[in-house]
Amino acid sequence: MRISVMSQMQRSFSIDLPSLIPLQLPSHEVKSTSLLKRYSQLLSPIEKDGVDQMRGDELKKNALLARTLVRTTISRYQTNKEVDPRSLMFKKNVYGKPEVDWQNCNNQPLHFNISHTDSLIACGVTVHVPVGIDVEDKERKIKHDVLAFAKRFYSADEVNVLATILDPEVQRKEFIKLWTLKEAYVKALGKGFSAAPFNTFTIQSMPGTEGAYNLCKTSEVTADPPEETKKCNGGWKFALFDLADSHYAAVCTEDDQANEGAPTKIIVRKTIPFVEDQLISERIFL
Amino acid sequence: MASLSATSLSFKAPSTRSTRISQVLRKASTFQSISFGRFQSSKSLRLQISCAAKPETVQKVSDIVKEQLALSADTALTSESKFSALGADSLDTVEIVMALEEKFNISVEEADAQNITTIQEAADLIEDLVQKKPAA
Repeated sequence: MRISVMSQMQRSFSIDLPSLIPLQLPSHEVKSTSLLKRYSQLLSPIEKDGVDQMRGDELKKNALLARTLVRTTISRYQTNKEVDPRSLMFKKNVYGKPEVDWQNCNNQPLHFNISHTDSLIACGVTVHVPVGIDVEDKERKIKHDVLAFAKRFYSADEVNVLATILDPEVQRKEFIKLWTLKEAYVKALGKGFSAAPFNTFTIQSMPGTEGAYNLCKTSEVTADPPEETKKCNGGWKFALFDLADSHYAAVCTEDDQANEGAPTKIIVRKTIPFVEDQLISERIFL
Repeated sequence: MASLSATSLSFKAPSTRSTRISQVLRKASTFQSISFGRFQSSKSLRLQISCAAKPETVQKVSDIVKEQLALSADTALTSESKFSALGADSLDTVEIVMALEEKFNISVEEADAQNITTIQEAADLIEDLVQKKPAA
């Protein structure tokens, strides 16, 4: 199934299923007050309250940019005519995950998820399948000892992988990559953190691939003595890549039954709503 | 006795306690006479509600939050301050919980860790866990 859409920039592009479009917004590049004012006009009253609740101008601006990115991104990927970003309505699923409330305008199969850091906001959009996305600054410093942190929160297999890395910088980077992958999974699942505690699943890289990962879930088998079994069959697909050279981005999508095992195409665009839009990369992940 | 419990529970209690409050009320209605010796949880619950997390605990939590989020020392934090409004993401929240575990020598369940959203909630959970520790 192919979808052709007109973007706000009057360029048309088509999206093949299953595919995913992370849009990244470098927040430090947006400074104009008139532009920010234009953005705030897109927000609902509830969203404006959310922005006001943030403590400090930088945080307020980031919150504004995040909502703007979500609205403008979703509205550009419509199957029918162009949708006014202001008209979109949102709701939360029973676990608190934000979703579009299409009301009665023929349920669109679009899913989205957003992640922000101090300097970059990413919004991922998929068709038909739930998505989770997490971005982190590559240079983010962990205040605790990385292995102690991993032992506390990650799975035993992940701790073992990290423990074999001798260089502390490389180890820290691997820790961050794993964090983004695990976060992306929990966000894609959409059932809150208690549905998938970090130490109950392992994400491991697929040998011979670059940026492709596998999910293994540990569950206890009632035996005597109780054993832990690992199930590494599909269900979820992962991709890890760089954004703007400065961030790691992890994307997790549900493996569509109709397209099970099919490669995922990920299109990355850099955007400043109403100002610029730039194709960064198109990649296939196995 | 049941009505006394009801009035002491009517002022605002932190959200983490709400499920236990409803359990105590249900227990009270099924028994005619209530002897506090048998209802350990209700007795300790009343004590916890009448004194909210100590100001020192709230202060210690605030200090740890300020450090983790690199806030300036004069940032005004209240017990109602939300971590997310201060710019904390989930990685920050987990680091804050680890720091609280070290500071107070407690162990937080992962489900509880991810559910802490304000300084008050963190302080209440800490005092709850500290109190549950076996007496030294």
